[in-house]
Amino acid sequence: MVYTKKSPALFIIGVIMLAIWYAAGNGMLDGYMEHLAAGKKYKYGAELMSIPMYFGLISVVIGAWQWFGSHTEGSWDYYSSTIAGGMFILLIAMLVRWFVAPEVAVISMSFGKIGDTGKYIHKLLGLNYVVMGIVTGIIIVNVFKVPEWAQNGVRLSRLGLKTGVILLGTLYSAAELKNLGGLSIIMIGFFVLGSVGLVLWMGARRGIPNSMGGVLSAGMGVCGVSATVASAPVVQAKSVEIAYTIGTILLWGVGCMFIFPIIGNLLGMSYVQFGAWAGTGILNSAQVAGAALAYQPDGIETLKVAEIFNITRVLVLPIIVLWLAVWYVKREESVTETVNVGQVVFEKFPVFVLGFILLFALSTTGMFAPANHYKGKYFDNTNVKASKMMTEKQIAVLTANSDKVQRADRKAALSRLIAGGKIASIEDDATIRGLANSKIMGKESGKILKKAHKAVRHTAKKIKAFRQWITWLFAFGLVGLGMQITVSSMKQAGGQPAVIGGVVGLTKAVLSLVVVLLIVSETV
Amino acid sequence: MENKFDRGSSLSIFGSDRREDFMALVFALVIAFSVYAAY
Repeated sequence: MVYTKKSPALFIIGVIMLAIWYAAGNGMLDGYMEHLAAGKKYKYGAELMSIPMYFGLISVVIGAWQWFGSHTEGSWDYYSSTIAGGMFILLIAMLVRWFVAPEVAVISMSFGKIGDTGKYIHKLLGLNYVVMGIVTGIIIVNVFKVPEWAQNGVRLSRLGLKTGVILLGTLYSAAELKNLGGLSIIMIGFFVLGSVGLVLWMGARRGIPNSMGGVLSAGMGVCGVSATVASAPVVQAKSVEIAYTIGTILLWGVGCMFIFPIIGNLLGMSYVQFGAWAGTGILNSAQVAGAALAYQPDGIETLKVAEIFNITRVLVLPIIVLWLAVWYVKREESVTETVNVGQVVFEKFPVFVLGFILLFALSTTGMFAPANHYKGKYFDNTNVKASKMMTEKQIAVLTANSDKVQRADRKAALSRLIAGGKIASIEDDATIRGLANSKIMGKESGKILKKAHKAVRHTAKKIKAFRQWITWLFAFGLVGLGMQITVSSMKQAGGQPAVIGGVVGLTKAVLSLVVVLLIVSETV
Repeated sequence: MENKFDRGSSLSIFGSDRREDFMALVFALVIAFSVYAAY
């Protein structure tokens, strides 16, 4: 079978990308960008000047070869034919991120803020480039069908998502994980084991086959598709049962991906709270990422927390596989084939999780950012620029309002700040930040304190670059994911598995929301 | 999605999840060391 299509499609995609780059670079889009920015600075100007040029050139060159060259069957033909579909997904991600999503935001803002929420419609519904990218993918596959020349490349989306998950490891440091890990392990342990137990109990009550109940419990409890695939041989699940489970997970997850950000916005959840909730309550890794990015499209804090919870959940997989093996062997008298649990875990455990841990370990050594970094930012008061040191006027304002401060630690940190013109230590930084948030010293002093805090907080350039890579890998992966969600795959979730999945999924989502709201604060 | 390909699965161009995981790992490491060298 020859996979490469003699089609001008990839060449045309390249020309469109280069046209976007040329128009942006020559000011032809300035008026439109100003309109999209709605009175602020257009956020994606730098991306428009570089990304479409690189990928446009690659597409034009390879597109010309695919269009005019001769192609024969083989591995080179198979893998190079994926480029057209990959660039197709990337172009959609670009158009949605740079133009469609900002345009929807402009239209949404024209309607004004909604009631007491203080937020615009697009914020409440989570209508950003991530959600719109997935929806565009769903529309393309169900209404127009994925073009034949792009079909092989659409299957790259999961590779993009996994690469993104591995790279997320670079953003973490041991200090951060030490704090977050404890809570995530307790919450995940409780909800994963609870979900598996509930599915098995309901499955027995409703009379579904043990193999169906077993594979559904792993899918609903742990991490969606990976867990389903890993547990299937342990409970000797049939292919239709695996398909039902994956259909149920995707259907439930798609709903969660859209509904979670809306609820998060309505409740005014912090990034950490929402990340913990999404990482616990949503089943599939990609959908966890989708919901987290939908909630915070221009930052990665929510995604990082959600992925920590999600990764913790994946790490529980071997325990669940062992549990299911024992449960299944006990219940099924007809089991004749011997299942080697250790071998199943060794063969099915997702290696990308180990990749995440490897990059986390490298990051912890200080390879990408100072080892004490938190969310890519770190404290350093030795290299404060002269322009960011406090002026005499600012010092005078702080001195005039210093009597309002009562707490001894705040008083001491403030006096050191006034004496030195910059924050003296990392402990003082936390104290000064708290003082600014308390608004005790008034609005003007608050602004000065926040500036002093920013002057000693630095963002590592490497971490900034990693954030950019991760954002694009996930945008790519999620548009492609949308192109794999067909109406027929959703219909597969019908019947008993869907009912059990719905009850367990809803229970987990509601209970985890309550737990998160009760025990998770701004910084865990 | 119906599988129309004689290689890989309906969701991946690779024959197994393990192979896809390893490829993701290779890409991630290439990106990581490129960023490390460039910045």
